[in-house]
Amino acid sequence: MSETEALDTHLQELRRGTTVLACLRLLQEPGYGYGLLEELSRRGFDTDANTLYPLLRRLEKQGHLTSEWNTDEARPRKFYRTSDAGRRLARALTDDFTAIADAIAGLPEEN
Amino acid sequence: MPTTATLTDRYVETAMRSVPEKQRPDLSAELRASIEDEIDARIAAGDSADAAERTVLTELGDPDALAAGYIDRPLWLIGPRYYLTWWRLTKLLWAIVPACVAFAVALGQVLAGESIGAVIGAVVPAVISVIVNIGFWTALVFFIIERSAGDKDAGVVSAWTVDRLPEKKERGAGLSDLIASLVFLALAAGAVIWDQLFGLAYLTDAGGWLPALSPALWPGWILGLLALIALEAALAVVVYVNGRWTTATATVNAVLNVAFVVPLLWLLSREELLNPALFPGVIPAASADTVETVVVTLLGFGAVAIALWDTIDGFLKSRRAR
Repeated sequence: MSETEALDTHLQELRRGTTVLACLRLLQEPGYGYGLLEELSRRGFDTDANTLYPLLRRLEKQGHLTSEWNTDEARPRKFYRTSDAGRRLARALTDDFTAIADAIAGLPEEN
Repeated sequence: MPTTATLTDRYVETAMRSVPEKQRPDLSAELRASIEDEIDARIAAGDSADAAERTVLTELGDPDALAAGYIDRPLWLIGPRYYLTWWRLTKLLWAIVPACVAFAVALGQVLAGESIGAVIGAVVPAVISVIVNIGFWTALVFFIIERSAGDKDAGVVSAWTVDRLPEKKERGAGLSDLIASLVFLALAAGAVIWDQLFGLAYLTDAGGWLPALSPALWPGWILGLLALIALEAALAVVVYVNGRWTTATATVNAVLNVAFVVPLLWLLSREELLNPALFPGVIPAASADTVETVVVTLLGFGAVAIALWDTIDGFLKSRRAR
């Protein structure tokens, strides 16, 4: 495995889970698949469409998101919104992420 | 977009194939909306409609993989949860069953009086089919468990505990092994000599004790057998002094086993091993021939099985001691 491939793999491992956190926080305001994808990338969470769409579905199945079809516009879209359970999960994940960031800051300096 | 809708149609339809009926309308509408949103965004950014659709669908990737993500279906035959249990079971079955089948099929063929070629011709396909069948059916069972259990624990795999650590394997070169070998060999040599002097088979018809081994084997064959027993004893001592089995001692062990089994089989096949007076004496004359064939075949198979196991055991112990 070349150095860039190894780097990509490790970055992917590190970012896994942050997408879930970002989705739960962003969807306090209702959002739909493609709109959320754009929003995520604008905020620096680069996510593939084929990762995000199944993820939304899974979070809904777990009860962390609720969904509703919006047929007001020409193109009907499914809007997701974070549920109460989702907000609790987001809080727990944020706390843990902060704790990890602090722990990393406390590691020995790199040269 | 009538000219470009076909690819998207085909993509959505393909993805929905593996999605349960109930979720299809909702999921296909959502997926189609997402794809069209993204295509529109690309067209707005200056792509041609055709190129935009191709790029979007290419980035979404294999529709079956996407659908598997939607409905949480594993994209593997046997996943990490069951892999080790499956592999251990398969190895265990492969270690035991084919050998038993080979032995049983060969025994049946020989008893039926088939030639050596016919025996091999029956054993090889039987063993191959058993190996393939074990591999297939074990994998199939675990494949089904993996998919039917979902997120729940199927109860097939219990949690690992330290009690499951394997015992340290015996090296087979201790004092107890030496004593056991020497006692066994002394008993064997004693039995052979006793058989020659007084006989080991008691027959009322013959008026007392008869030798079980053919009297014609004395002196050459019997002395050869006693020499083999002495060599086995020497080997046991060498292994004990070395403190472990080595490739060299395991090889010598194999050679001694061959030196024991080959003449034995040769004598059995010529019906020269056992005392000819034995069978008509024990069994009514009419069935004596059949019984003799069965006894001779069983003796031969028993000897080969023991010698094979002893040879393999020697090599296993030498590998373990490395």
